[in-house]
Amino acid sequence: MEESKQVHEEKLEIDRYERTYMILAAAMLGVFFAALVAGAIIYGVHLPTAVGFINPILIDETEFANPGLRDMGDNHYELYVVAQMWNYDAGTTESTAAGFPVLHLPQGAVVTFNVTSRDVQHGFYVEHHNVNLQILPGHIASQTITFSEPGTYHVICHEYCGRGHQTMGMVLIVDRATGA
Amino acid sequence: MQAVQPAQGESLVKFPELVALRSEKWLIGAHMAVAFIAISIGALLGPFQAFRRAPTLRWDMPIFSYYYQALSIHGVLNALVFTTFFIVGFSYFTTQRSLQRKLWSIPMAWVAFAMMALGLLLAGFSLITGQANVLYTFYAPMIAEPIFYLGLTLVIVGSWVAGANIFITYGQWKRAHPGEKVPLATYSILANFIMWITCTLGVAVEVLFFLLPISLGWVATTDPQVTRILFWFFGHPLVYFWLLPAYTSWYTMMPKQYGVTLFSDNFGRLAFLMIMIFSIPIGVHHLFSDPGISEFAKAAHAFLTFVVAFPSLLTAFNIAATLEKAGRARGGKGLFGWIPKQEWGNPVIAAQLSGMIIFIIGGVTGIMNASWNMNVALHNTSWVPGHFHTTLGGAVFLTYVGIFYWLLPMLRGRKLWNKEIALAQVYTWLIGMALFGMSMGRAGIEGAPRRTDLGAPGVYISDAWGLWLNLSAIGGFILLVSLILLIAQIIGTLFFSKEEYAAPAPVETKAPADALGIFERWRLWLLVIVVTNVIMWGPVLIQGLNFSNGFWATPFQMR
Repeated sequence: MEESKQVHEEKLEIDRYERTYMILAAAMLGVFFAALVAGAIIYGVHLPTAVGFINPILIDETEFANPGLRDMGDNHYELYVVAQMWNYDAGTTESTAAGFPVLHLPQGAVVTFNVTSRDVQHGFYVEHHNVNLQILPGHIASQTITFSEPGTYHVICHEYCGRGHQTMGMVLIVDRATGA
Repeated sequence: MQAVQPAQGESLVKFPELVALRSEKWLIGAHMAVAFIAISIGALLGPFQAFRRAPTLRWDMPIFSYYYQALSIHGVLNALVFTTFFIVGFSYFTTQRSLQRKLWSIPMAWVAFAMMALGLLLAGFSLITGQANVLYTFYAPMIAEPIFYLGLTLVIVGSWVAGANIFITYGQWKRAHPGEKVPLATYSILANFIMWITCTLGVAVEVLFFLLPISLGWVATTDPQVTRILFWFFGHPLVYFWLLPAYTSWYTMMPKQYGVTLFSDNFGRLAFLMIMIFSIPIGVHHLFSDPGISEFAKAAHAFLTFVVAFPSLLTAFNIAATLEKAGRARGGKGLFGWIPKQEWGNPVIAAQLSGMIIFIIGGVTGIMNASWNMNVALHNTSWVPGHFHTTLGGAVFLTYVGIFYWLLPMLRGRKLWNKEIALAQVYTWLIGMALFGMSMGRAGIEGAPRRTDLGAPGVYISDAWGLWLNLSAIGGFILLVSLILLIAQIIGTLFFSKEEYAAPAPVETKAPADALGIFERWRLWLLVIVVTNVIMWGPVLIQGLNFSNGFWATPFQMR
């Protein structure tokens, strides 16, 4: 830059191009954030929020005493899952050949996942769906989604939880709706 | 604090232009030695984790074959040890050279070094003996042995002593130069250490009040959510602590190396100031999936995350404009003619340019992480390590290597051992890390989890991941080759290089005449930092703490 020797009293000089660039950069970030807000308001993309505490030692005296799927009518379900080293207890006896517990859901089911941990931190990630939860002992993690496509979806523990972490999983099978 | 000191003979040393002082050789050299020994071991373990996760390119590590132990060592050595030692050493060097005076106290710098080194020995011992397989985020209630936390605490407290030394040196310089503006290089280092000391308070509270007591058996329970909050108060500024020295080099050293002036010094100051302020009140974007934090707090932190992207966009303009000046001075014509005129054949410059190139991927993927609707798909998948390997493992590491390719010869007094090998190292690292980062990211989009031993029996692996996991292993192999070239270069320069090195340190000693003083109104900026963080973190912490009996969890000792 040309050395302007006159002592400007603490004045910030901005290059023309730099000014334009700054405006564009700020506008771009503003558009990004506006898109997020719009996504939340219009399309209902929500993050898990604080729903409740639970004493991890007294889990068996709460609604998590009998984990599993509860039919709330009108194709709505509440699923209670206890995550523990190194499996998900979802109250099902069916399992895959690899030993993962299996739950069946009808196509179009609206499922609210309620997950807590009995021991350390775990993850709860449903393949190809917007369920991505951090499971902490002492907290209930909750997320509601709709299973509109039939298929087999793995639930993966994606938070390191010790030696057997990699074997922790579950399978959701969404059965094709009859007459569809 | 101290009375007005008459010019200390020690601190007013005239630095030789072309060689390093004896005190610099030892002090900076010691920090660099620890840093590069740490990264040699830490980075060596990395590719083997990629090999282990690859379905068809499986190759097991001969030592540290337990995946989570190797991963813990990889994370701690690379992300915490290498970075901290490198940054402290580099900051000492740059502060001394740009202020043209010695540190306030060289013995105090050695005390800080001894604390950090002892801390490293303790933490390293616990990692190697498998007493701390808790990964570098050490989430409660998974608990390591006390020696691990003691070690980390010593490293952090040592870095505070280092920061204090730099602040006092600046204060002395300020008194000796009333009315003068500090050179941008030192400004950036001050901003970095103010941010660092502020944010490490979070992890210090976490370790001293939550993890260490439970690890020692003094208390029986802990709070996983609060410890996560305290960790990520520290965790995001941590990534800026790594990045800012790279910016210091891009803003203040590359122009010198090119023989041009920085396009805009004041906007450089603005970028450092904004990062210092806004890198901390945004950490909840790491906790988007957490159950104990309100959606509103998550959105507020996401908003400020977009604000802190702004100084990096400013940096992109400022540095690109400076490089354009340099390219045109070298005969570059037309709209893009300045790009091929960059010094792609000079390892010092090439490493930094490569860092900038890969940082484009790192920056874009970072903005995606901050976008919570995309984060729902990406959180804790291999996308996340894909992202930060392009920032920390790409932009930051390549720039540090670029710095080391002039700093090591200067400290040693001998030229770089082999320029061709240095160039090969830089470009293989760029290619390897780009391939690794992008394939990890792609696997993550398909749902591959991070931090998971996918090579173990009985593990679910989707068919959609296979290709990308194999490609990330190929990326890892290229990085392994690059790492070997780097180690060879260091050994070669230390022991086999014959030619004398004689080039000036690329450190600016004067601020330009139009530099603004407002950027140095530290009391004001500290107040802004305190107020912003109380507003942004206070409600999160209060919500996280719940004094009804529900939130305590018992510890699980991890050996």
